[in-house]
Amino acid sequence: MDGWVGRILRVDLTQGDFTIEELDPDLAVEYIGGRGLGSKMLFDEVDPKVDPLSPDNKLLFVSGPLTGTGATSGSRMTVVTKSPLAGAIAHSNVGGYIGAEMKFAGYDVIICEGKSERPVYLLINDDDVQFKPAGHLWGKDTWETEDIIKKEIGDSWKARETQMLYIGPAGENLAKFAAIVHDKHTVAGRCGTGAVMGSKNLKAIAVRGTKAITIADGQGFRETVTAILDKWKKDEGLSYFGYTGSAAAVAGNNKRGCLPVLNYQRGTFEGVDGLNWKVQKGLLVSRSSCFGCPCHCRPEYKLPDSKVGERHVGLEYETVALLGSNCGISDYVAVIKSNDICNALGMDAMSAGSTIALAMELFEKGYLTEQEAGLKLNFGNAEAMLEALRQAARREGFGKILAEGAYALAERYGHPEFFVGVKKLEMPAYDPRRLQGMGLNLATANRGACHNRAYTPAYEAFAPPERLMDPSATAGKAAMVIRLQDTVTGLDSAGLCLFPQAAMMPPFQVPDVVAQLEAATGAGYNEEKFMLSGERTWNLERIFNLRAGFTKADDNLPPRMLKEPLPDGPGKGQVCRLDEMLPEYYQLRGWDEEGVPTSDKLSELGLEGLL
Amino acid sequence: MKKIKIDFSKCTGCHTCETACSLQHIENVVNPKRSRIRILRVGEANLPVIAGPYTEAECTSKGIVVFGGQEHDVCVLCRASCPAKPIFKEPDVDIPLKCDFCGEPPNPQCVRWCTTEALTLVDVEDEKKN
Repeated sequence: MDGWVGRILRVDLTQGDFTIEELDPDLAVEYIGGRGLGSKMLFDEVDPKVDPLSPDNKLLFVSGPLTGTGATSGSRMTVVTKSPLAGAIAHSNVGGYIGAEMKFAGYDVIICEGKSERPVYLLINDDDVQFKPAGHLWGKDTWETEDIIKKEIGDSWKARETQMLYIGPAGENLAKFAAIVHDKHTVAGRCGTGAVMGSKNLKAIAVRGTKAITIADGQGFRETVTAILDKWKKDEGLSYFGYTGSAAAVAGNNKRGCLPVLNYQRGTFEGVDGLNWKVQKGLLVSRSSCFGCPCHCRPEYKLPDSKVGERHVGLEYETVALLGSNCGISDYVAVIKSNDICNALGMDAMSAGSTIALAMELFEKGYLTEQEAGLKLNFGNAEAMLEALRQAARREGFGKILAEGAYALAERYGHPEFFVGVKKLEMPAYDPRRLQGMGLNLATANRGACHNRAYTPAYEAFAPPERLMDPSATAGKAAMVIRLQDTVTGLDSAGLCLFPQAAMMPPFQVPDVVAQLEAATGAGYNEEKFMLSGERTWNLERIFNLRAGFTKADDNLPPRMLKEPLPDGPGKGQVCRLDEMLPEYYQLRGWDEEGVPTSDKLSELGLEGLL
Repeated sequence: MKKIKIDFSKCTGCHTCETACSLQHIENVVNPKRSRIRILRVGEANLPVIAGPYTEAECTSKGIVVFGGQEHDVCVLCRASCPAKPIFKEPDVDIPLKCDFCGEPPNPQCVRWCTTEALTLVDVEDEKKN
């Protein structure tokens, strides 16, 4: 096979054994790889009703056919499992170098099954797969874990080339929003995949490979990639966001009135200047990037008290908004520190920020006392936030409650209406009262409230006037959301990154993606097949969720977004009018009024008989 | 005379140069471990190192240089392919690799694919004039 490396590493943690299987080429072409192939394998192998933290759940790491090839932004790998936070299908996407290294070791997929009796880590060198004891790593943060494993590898050159995934204390303690971390700062953040890894007593996976990825049409691939590189170098959107990272969106979204503020109670923030990316400019020392990405969107910072060689990798917009304005915090350095805690202890900065914002609202309104929380959790108290994050990861003190996530927290204190999320996954940092299309996407996204399933701000917020869709309108949003959801599913499957595709002008240049995919694989891809694969995967994920017990009632937004009008900004007085969009969405998706794919749609996608 | 100019401060560690080198020298193959340029990370710095000639003997002296407050093992910065160093050798067979400028006239693909201008092709005479 070209593009794919054609092998699956199946790890049985219960037995401490592994097998290497061949990847079915037809399946690979149909689902592309990454999120698509991972969803298909999870669907085929795991009962959707499985307890996510039981040994029967599986944890899949899936690269795409373009991962590691040098295709523009081809760094991505998707972690697929059933989410302990949402109970829905989980797919959490990570960049850096790990997806590429997996393929150089000869694996498109690493699938972890069962549960190890004792903590272990996997050390993979091409075909050599070793189970190493990890008792001494248990309790260590992700940064220490990387350093210790590198020492244990011994050979400094091999250690340098070894890429790792690991969990921190949050994953070990089964915090519901625990993340899987790579390269100390690059995170498969959402959906609580770190808790699934922790439930399997799997501390880390370290991979080094010396093998090749073959390309079907090397000459054509080189010509295609160089042409795209030249185009990207000149692209206005990429030159800007490539320099600043996504954090530059904070000021603009504040102006637009879609920034989450004080647990999504407001859309603009008076302390926004403290979170402006220009503040970080003084702290910025260099830029870094993921494998094969000409976008270079990760700034690296030095703090005034940083030691030599100490890295603080760029804040994303979501992090700045959810750990910053959403918690009433306007101090950029405090957000860098809280982001560092999330990365080191292995937590999703988004869900963590959202959960703490909710705790702060409960505290401010008198439903949570200082005595009970052990912390003075008023909005804007950065010190309390940092301590709350540490406690959540270690499940100490009030952290025992925080670690269950925002939904459980709101339920526990009798105020479910304060929870802002979908399918129990905390909401990202785009207020759907201001961006109606985002509301529809959040309500229908299979993994729960996720902006990346369909990045509508590319059309509803950041587009130049001639391409801008009125963010307050609902007309035409269903079709736009569906097209984006299918496109992004294809990108996640191919192993490419969403960010440059969303930042470039115009956004989502699918023909370039397909040209690279076809040159690398020679599998007969065209735009139509690419989009069809995205749609197929989307429907398959939907069926997984339906089988897990989700219904139309779960395609909903929290009451704050539907009933509490925005009190400020350009969207003042608006709520999200989901009911104007959802029926059309179902219809255009080829689903019935209950949101169930029709048999016609299923046969069109080759999914007949699955419902 | 053409030379490849390396500006460490501009390298972001995307490894695109390695894939370009591999595709140039081995038909239809991407394998950074067979590339004649490697990006080596030390602390927060990414250092592009281009393979120089093979040397049969390992250095008897070892050095550490300090710049930017960061210690760098001279062995990491060294361009040579040598018995003590596992990079710049074909994996498995250990045949040494050396940069060939992608032919004559020089058209190095690592430079062609580098989008940050960490790698540029410069004319040495021009450099002197500047």
